[in-house]
Amino acid sequence: MVEQLSPLGAAYRPGRHGRVNDTVGATLSERQPGSIVQLAAWSGQEDAMRALIKDISGLELPATSGGGTAEPAKAAFGIAPGKVLLIDDTDGIFADYSAALPENIGVVTDLSHGRSAIRIVGPSAEWVLSKLFAIDFTSGAFPVGAGRSTTHHDIFTQMQRSGEDQFDLYVFRSFARSFWQTLCHAAGEVGYEVI
Amino acid sequence: MKPQRTGIGGKIHRARTIRFSFDGTSYEGHPGDTLASALLANGIVLFGRSFKYHRPRGVVSAGIDEPNALVTVLRGDVREPNIPATTIEIFDGLVAVSQNRFPSLAFDLNAINQLGGKLLGAGFYYKTFMGPVIGPLRGTRFWMFCEHFIRRAAGLGRAGEAHDTARYERVNAFCDVLIVGGGPAGLMAARAAAEKGDRVILAEFDPTFGGSAKWSGETIDGQPADIWTQFVADDLRSMPNVTLLPRTLVWGYYDSDTMAALERVSDHKVKAETGEPRHRSWTIRAGRVILATGALERPIVFPGNDRPGVMLASAAQRYAGEYGITVGSRVAVFTNNDSAYTALAAMKAAECSSLVVVDVRSQISPAARAAASHAGVELLLGQAVVGTRGYPSLSSIKVQRFDPSSLTTSGVARSISVDALLVSGGWSPTLHLASQAGGRPVWDEEIQAFTPPQPLQNWMAAGAARGAFSTAEAVAEGYAAGGGETADDAEPLPETEPTILLSKPARVFEIKAKGKAFVDFQHDVTADDVRLAHQEGFVSVEHLKRYTTLGMGTDQGKTSNVPGLAIMAEVSGRQIPEVGTTRFRPPYAPVSIGALAAERFGDLKPERLTPMHDWHVEQGAEMMPAGLWFRPRIYAQPGETIEQSYVRETRAARNEAGIVDVSTLGKIAVQGPDAALFLDRVYTNTFSTLPINKARYGLMLREDGFVLDDGTTWRLGQNEFLMTTTTANAGKVMQHLEYLLDVIWPDLKVHLTSVTDQWAGAAIGGPRAREILSTCVQGTKVDNATLPFMGIVHGTIAQVPVMICRLSFSGEMAFEVYCGAGHGQHVWNALLSAGQGFGLVAYGMEALGTMRIEKGHVTGAEIDGRTTARDLHLDWMLSKKKSFVGSAMMDREGLSGPDRLQLVGLVSLDGRALSGGAHIVEHVDPEAPSHSLGHVTAACYSPSLGKYIGLALVSGGKGRRETRAFVSDPLRNRFGPVEIVSHHMFDPQGTRMHG
Repeated sequence: MVEQLSPLGAAYRPGRHGRVNDTVGATLSERQPGSIVQLAAWSGQEDAMRALIKDISGLELPATSGGGTAEPAKAAFGIAPGKVLLIDDTDGIFADYSAALPENIGVVTDLSHGRSAIRIVGPSAEWVLSKLFAIDFTSGAFPVGAGRSTTHHDIFTQMQRSGEDQFDLYVFRSFARSFWQTLCHAAGEVGYEVI
Repeated sequence: MKPQRTGIGGKIHRARTIRFSFDGTSYEGHPGDTLASALLANGIVLFGRSFKYHRPRGVVSAGIDEPNALVTVLRGDVREPNIPATTIEIFDGLVAVSQNRFPSLAFDLNAINQLGGKLLGAGFYYKTFMGPVIGPLRGTRFWMFCEHFIRRAAGLGRAGEAHDTARYERVNAFCDVLIVGGGPAGLMAARAAAEKGDRVILAEFDPTFGGSAKWSGETIDGQPADIWTQFVADDLRSMPNVTLLPRTLVWGYYDSDTMAALERVSDHKVKAETGEPRHRSWTIRAGRVILATGALERPIVFPGNDRPGVMLASAAQRYAGEYGITVGSRVAVFTNNDSAYTALAAMKAAECSSLVVVDVRSQISPAARAAASHAGVELLLGQAVVGTRGYPSLSSIKVQRFDPSSLTTSGVARSISVDALLVSGGWSPTLHLASQAGGRPVWDEEIQAFTPPQPLQNWMAAGAARGAFSTAEAVAEGYAAGGGETADDAEPLPETEPTILLSKPARVFEIKAKGKAFVDFQHDVTADDVRLAHQEGFVSVEHLKRYTTLGMGTDQGKTSNVPGLAIMAEVSGRQIPEVGTTRFRPPYAPVSIGALAAERFGDLKPERLTPMHDWHVEQGAEMMPAGLWFRPRIYAQPGETIEQSYVRETRAARNEAGIVDVSTLGKIAVQGPDAALFLDRVYTNTFSTLPINKARYGLMLREDGFVLDDGTTWRLGQNEFLMTTTTANAGKVMQHLEYLLDVIWPDLKVHLTSVTDQWAGAAIGGPRAREILSTCVQGTKVDNATLPFMGIVHGTIAQVPVMICRLSFSGEMAFEVYCGAGHGQHVWNALLSAGQGFGLVAYGMEALGTMRIEKGHVTGAEIDGRTTARDLHLDWMLSKKKSFVGSAMMDREGLSGPDRLQLVGLVSLDGRALSGGAHIVEHVDPEAPSHSLGHVTAACYSPSLGKYIGLALVSGGKGRRETRAFVSDPLRNRFGPVEIVSHHMFDPQGTRMHG
């Protein structure tokens, strides 16, 4: 199996950067899940799509705008009305859904190469992201598991709160390096580590 | 006596010394000092020169309202002009210089402007520089001649040209309550809201919280007020639902209670921490807003009121109380209200040797009289200051009897020797943000000031910002605004001293006497200027502002607004509320441009990179922008020109094989049971008949019948298509299609997804392209039977799944190889490796453009939003069997006339290169340009034809084939003959492409 080449290139520099503190404010990493798929339900078929996701991936999604759930090896969240982004460490999830998804419920699109997954975790993760996105990141407004679709600097971004102080960001692959550099710049104030 | 530091007092940290410089001289100050207070402590009274007249100017206020003491701060080569010295926190190594003076602040040659007198009054420019009707300086030329000198002689500070290396950031914040202003009202509001559990942001312009309580000398809750405020602030700081923002200016009130603020993160530091910004721009989306912005004291307009040593009474009180400075030893107070009497105790405590109060009122309150008596001052009631003397700073004032009802002076003027004059003309609530939020401010006759309008958004004012000037009102209103419990059994509010010296001023804004009496210090606008403007017909307050520049400048009329309106009201025989006030606009005070740009500073747009980007760079490709994308232009070899490079690359592609990165093409997944029907509607030709694993070239029109975009769409399944678009139009097409599905045909079951980034694309073409593919593709054949023109096959290359479509933009036998973007470089390498024995060469955009020009294929240069399918000879794609977007409009008159600009080919007849944008004319005469027939859209040297060629849009182009015309390009001085030919200039039968 040929591995995907990271789009970050030389911009990915492991180690400590920015302000030097005893602890880092945020840890940044590039995740490389085996599968990223988009599931889009026809109007009125959203419940059926959620049921299918539960059957195939075992993920139970709340029927709320941006609702989602995150587990260590897989996650899913709403990105638009009727649309869900599903991420799985396993390869080939697209084929599973292609085979199982009835035409009358919706369609599945493989985005495993089209989106780059970037994780930010740490006590200052909310603060760093607040510099880039006009989103209320406090846990009351943006609970664990939930997702948001937004934009920064012309870069469309889908994100999920995958932990109390952890966010997974999905950006178009071609923008990934630019976005990564912007994210690192924003994290410089609190000190960050790239792993 | 000059101002000096008192032996004790103030909130500065005297144990530590800070060294800084002003105009090249070193001074010392203490932490807690502003530049203004530190300079005063060093006896400096001359801070700057005025805008037009270059009059010496001192400090007027102690805060953000300062109109005079503007300085330039230098950090290395970076200079930031027009910063009020009253707002700059000193730090070791601070370098500040005065501005608008030559050669020095003490001796300014331009002070000669004062002799200009009325010549330099309101409308000076408009009247003086209309210019003669004839002659070399006619019209505006005279102004342009003079402008250079005037700009040098008048103005504020000089902006620098050095690159600003500071870091700027922005941040978004959300809260239930935003409180603007950290004085007693703001602190109590924050406390009340926080105790209720609200998410609170409290923003304060100063470095510390407390507002006037820091220097008023009063007590709150049984403690010195400054101690109480720090206690409350510390309490708030410990609460998790409270964010305290000191050094933060809330400068804009926008729709939906969205507020703009500027945090000065590291201006006060010798050096910012690593990664720390200089300024941070906050966008705060608040559930509601509490304006606890306090009030600003007003000066009184009288002759000589701008002389250094004349300052606001509250400023002197603050310098004494917060910074431990006495502003003079012989101090006079000139007032029209009681509040100035609160300064007397502070002046006495600050070791002033003599005090006199000049009050325009004949009767004053018992409290004021008692304060005067307690301070042991001479009380001059019913009198006014009619003049000042002293150079460069105040040495005496002239006082004369004054009748506040007739506003006239009488009797003999008396001269009093003073070195400081503290003025109070009443107080104006700081209602700028409320005004920005909408509504007209309301005039309050009792306090002679505008108060905030009826809220049109979710805000409320508390304390002095509402016109309630006592500390007790500030505490109570702040607490109530914050949502504090006000029931009888609720916890009592902090106890405050009774405020008996309130601003209920006499209606006196100006003392008329001989001499320049300034209304707007910063722009040198005098009372006579306001009168002159009225006399010349500028009766609207908005016109007054623009004609006289009253209220403009960096201070935006904080001290001049109401006095100016009062004078205008008087000359026009109206009341102040009838005159009205200008609507305040953001920003409340200057905001650094860098903070607004924030992380975009130096990085205007993100870069979009293909999966093979690094390879292109490593090969020495010259990269060129294509929208946000970067694409290789040429892969130059040492010593090659651009033309030599692309000619070499083109020849290789035509003779052997070439490969080009086409990952940037827009790609849209069109999925669903109605996908084919949808495509039939959006394309001019039919797609529902397209077999699976076949592609078709498609043309899209806008609703108005003009061409929108073109591209191939591949049918990958019964209900699944992969649409490709031009690189430039991908976003536009996606938006167009989503609009159609969301608004026009919501019943269609079709989903669209941008998959541009999912696929890496490589186009490999040329006589040997098929051979190359056959050596590296596994799992499928690529022969003509398996992969005919517009056919699609699936296989693998170097173990990576690929999808190959046989189509051509170059005119050669060509194939587009798509794979997952993460495998793009891997497959690209495999193709290059396979092509080694076949002369495969990577080519860039120039070679791609050359081949498409030779073939007459259109791109965005021709699909420019003004061309129709017929113009581009694509009418064969307009289906007559169905309607489609644009079909109803494409045949309208004007879109099908014979004289429309039509696509043609051009051949240069003089052997010289053509340029895009050059006009096509029938006869060339550089001195008498003839009517343009059209323009060149693209040009190149064609190695296949051995000529310079181009494409053009020419009126009636098809009928002009085989005729001669000329290019006319005056901009580049290029004129010459061309032959108009068919746009199919190379292999018109397509034999190379079809094999």
